[in-house]
Amino acid sequence: MHAAVLRYRVMAYITGVLIIVVCFAGIPLQLVAHNTIISNQVATVHGFLYIIYVIFAYMLAQKLKMRLGPTILLLLAGTVPIMTFVVERWMMRTYIAPALAADDAAAAAQPVAR
Amino acid sequence: MEIPGSAAVDAATAEAPAVEGGPAATKGPSWLFLITPRWLAWHIFAVFAFWGMLWLGDWQFHRAISGNGLSWAYTFEWPLFAGFGAIFWTRTIRDEFRAKRGPSAAEVKAAAAAPILPEGIGTRQIERPADDADDADQASYNAYLDRLNIEVKQHKRWGGYG
Repeated sequence: MHAAVLRYRVMAYITGVLIIVVCFAGIPLQLVAHNTIISNQVATVHGFLYIIYVIFAYMLAQKLKMRLGPTILLLLAGTVPIMTFVVERWMMRTYIAPALAADDAAAAAQPVAR
Repeated sequence: MEIPGSAAVDAATAEAPAVEGGPAATKGPSWLFLITPRWLAWHIFAVFAFWGMLWLGDWQFHRAISGNGLSWAYTFEWPLFAGFGAIFWTRTIRDEFRAKRGPSAAEVKAAAAAPILPEGIGTRQIERPADDADDADQASYNAYLDRLNIEVKQHKRWGGYG
């Protein structure tokens, strides 16, 4: 569970930063200076990393037994600037933190022989 | 750009399809839930998303062969996402059937028969040693764990943290 959360969060931050670079640096640069280097190259990189994001996010959603609507929202969050971070915070609060806490509580509740 | 459109986001934010099977779900054939309005809306969304992504791939392909080199990446990416969407949809419906059906008789039997610990790991070692009774420290610790265990079991879905 911890590994799945980490994989998702790493990819969320990477795709989140890249989409912000594309939208708030690349596109203005393209419109104002007609320089397409950021919008083209970074957008392509984001496109490929988004594939990895989708896979990890989907695996996490399966582990957390998330419902259909929130899962789709989670998967699409990697394509909307700033949304990625908002959804990551929301995921942590609503799904991940409770699941991890329950996991740890279940582990602690196992009778242990010393 | 690969933003699948705001309609998709609107549909996604419309929370939670009819995942809970109420008492009504137990009547009739098990697939009946698939034609409830909520599921029909999801089916339509899935079909549009699938063909939409294939169409976008086709569009990028035409841009690519007319000289836009960058479009080659998206030409392959969109069908990939369409395929992923199809897999996602199939698995969602399969999981829903499984949840409705509950564990099958064979699965219950297998779970009951399966040893909790792997072969070769003895259960003897976790039996309480005979001299446990005079170890007040350990006795109180075990009592504490039992209390915690009962407490956690009384909580709901997330063990009381939800």
